[in-house]
Amino acid sequence: MIQPIEGAHSTTFSSDRDPEDLLPARMINELVYCPRLFYLMHVEGQFAESIDTIDGGIVHRRVDNGTGGLAPAEPCATQSFIPSADEDPAVIVPEATKPKKRRKSKHVQAATLFGDDDDDGSEAGEQEACEQQSDQDSDASEEAEDLPKTIHARSVTLSSESLGVIAKLDLAEATGSVVTPVDYKRGRPKRMADGTLAAWDPERVQIALQVLVLRDNGYQSDEGVLYFNETRQRVRVGVDEELLDLTRSAIAAARQHRESGQIPPPLVSSPKCPRCSLVGICLPEETRRLANIQQPPAAVRPLITARDERRPVYFNTQGMWIGKKDDLLQAKVEGKVVQEIRFNDINQINLFGNIQLSTQAIQTALGRDVPIGYFTQKGYYYGVSGGLGVKNILVRRQQFRLADDSEFCLDIARALVHGKIRNQRTLLMRNHREPDATSLRDLKRYAARALTADSLASLLGIEGIAARIYFGDFAGMLKVDCGVSTGGEGYVTAEKRPAFHFRSRNRRPPRDPVNAMLSLAYSLLTKDCLVAATIVGLDPHLGFYHQVKPGKPALALDLMEPFRPLIADSVVLSAINTKMVTADHFICAGKSVVMSDAGRKHFLLAYEKRMDSLVTHPLFDYRVSYRRLLEIQTRLLARRLSGEIEEYPVFQTR
Amino acid sequence: MRRIYLITYDVCDAKRLRKIFKCLRGWGDHLQYSVFECQLTDADLLRCKAEMADILHHGEDQVLVIDLGPAASRSATLVQAIGKPYSAMAAPCFVV
Repeated sequence: MIQPIEGAHSTTFSSDRDPEDLLPARMINELVYCPRLFYLMHVEGQFAESIDTIDGGIVHRRVDNGTGGLAPAEPCATQSFIPSADEDPAVIVPEATKPKKRRKSKHVQAATLFGDDDDDGSEAGEQEACEQQSDQDSDASEEAEDLPKTIHARSVTLSSESLGVIAKLDLAEATGSVVTPVDYKRGRPKRMADGTLAAWDPERVQIALQVLVLRDNGYQSDEGVLYFNETRQRVRVGVDEELLDLTRSAIAAARQHRESGQIPPPLVSSPKCPRCSLVGICLPEETRRLANIQQPPAAVRPLITARDERRPVYFNTQGMWIGKKDDLLQAKVEGKVVQEIRFNDINQINLFGNIQLSTQAIQTALGRDVPIGYFTQKGYYYGVSGGLGVKNILVRRQQFRLADDSEFCLDIARALVHGKIRNQRTLLMRNHREPDATSLRDLKRYAARALTADSLASLLGIEGIAARIYFGDFAGMLKVDCGVSTGGEGYVTAEKRPAFHFRSRNRRPPRDPVNAMLSLAYSLLTKDCLVAATIVGLDPHLGFYHQVKPGKPALALDLMEPFRPLIADSVVLSAINTKMVTADHFICAGKSVVMSDAGRKHFLLAYEKRMDSLVTHPLFDYRVSYRRLLEIQTRLLARRLSGEIEEYPVFQTR
Repeated sequence: MRRIYLITYDVCDAKRLRKIFKCLRGWGDHLQYSVFECQLTDADLLRCKAEMADILHHGEDQVLVIDLGPAASRSATLVQAIGKPYSAMAAPCFVV
């Protein structure tokens, strides 16, 4: 699938291999760990951080520091190993500079002080070893026996044309003519039955690649070392024929996966999955359950964190100015700071109306993948700016291909409308004071009919009729103020404020408070679906059910159909029924009704409370928040597009 | 899952003190002099500690990280104040 791109390159660089085409050794490591992980990360270009990747980054700070991958000068013979200017040859640190060096070392190394409470004491005593402390502490005695000087080079990048591999050596130890690559790992080594330490296969393969690349560049190298930061132990990895075979087949497999464009299946109930940083993207067990392959898992392990730990922020005060100070968003009104919000706490910034956001704040937000949503003062949705970029171009290409397939579009659309009507019915059953049997029966009938609709047009008709039935009964779910409004006359309070009387859905502009709230809720939900689509890598503007119209986020609208009753309508009901929003919160302007600033604030809280509340997924039986659910459902749609699963499971609450 | 951490610091040098203060402002609420209350995920805690470790002088300064348990099941009496009021706000989003 990547063939054409490679072809294009090979015409330009006909003689040489395209540098892009070199496989990094780290990628091969991931392939041995899990082929699907390799595919997601290096073919689709997806990445997610987990505690392990962050820890790994911290462990690598020292080795990655400074040199920026400068390879040592051209090796003239197997003998010389010339460290480049900014390398860190520990052994030849002049005495005079030692104190300064030591402090630097302490600053960086100290990250680990928190991690290990067991050997802090001994470490502190060993400060003399300063520079070499981390690299060599565990076998200092062994190093001492080596008579020739050991020269160290950090962060050395070498490539091998014949293997088609590029490797970054965290640390290269050169003793005489022999170079030993040392790779830093955050975790702990594998402990064999006899108590000796060993390395895991992915790391062994990575070391083997480093050794091979060194040899290809004219160095002598027979073994490598893995340094495990958690236990501060070194494990030697000898490169034997068996390991070389494993390595060669891994390189071949990597090339094959890259060229096939076919995502490898997920691992089967693997103990690797729970700690994998991409588990939320890969959805291993969910995919296996839906893909109808052999031995689907009996129960889907809840591997995904149930909630998004970060929260959205809404700026709603007109004339506000928002800047950035350190790691904070600083909201000012008339020059006075009214609130500071940490960037670390937020996952979205939303602006209603005339609010200025500084370029610095925008840049920081986009750099952190925090999208910025724009709404008018009344709450109409404008759009989202995001540094989210295109996450997965392959699925997007598939989306564009399938959007032309009318049979496919109809298939997805049927399922969406069916799901929406079923969810509307469920909401009526749950919340109506006296659910009307006829309405429920009709909704059920139309839901079934949606599944057999023969065109998008007839589907629209079915959706319309169902909506009329549903909104006809909607007033029965409002349990405040409207007890007397069955006669049809609007209930108006003494101060001539509109109250919660609902007769039918109207919009542009909404003409009563309930409709105003519904409109705002749909605006917010559109924004969240659009963000979900973008995170997954889909184009939010090309839908399957909603028709393409410039500026219309058709896919986001598709995705939100089944969630309209469950999230938006439900928020409106709970905001009214729990009196979070009251009649005082609305302003009449001619025929239209808008929410006041205070009202919108309460409503936004109600909306986010709903998004944060946990719901049981009917297929996987675990509980996730609605916000997380939107993402999971969107990822499943992407799986449907890539052909990995046969049917898009529209979310239906039980 | 976020947990609540009380982070206190004792830093001997004015420059480093300011840096630590600035760093912690990005992670939690400033409760008192040299005391922050932070609600952090495991990953946040790791990052926060790494940031502080880069600033501190490990022979002279000290930071204590005190784990007060999961934020979700926070009890109302976890922190009690005498004197000026203390309030722990927990809202599903920020509205300004």
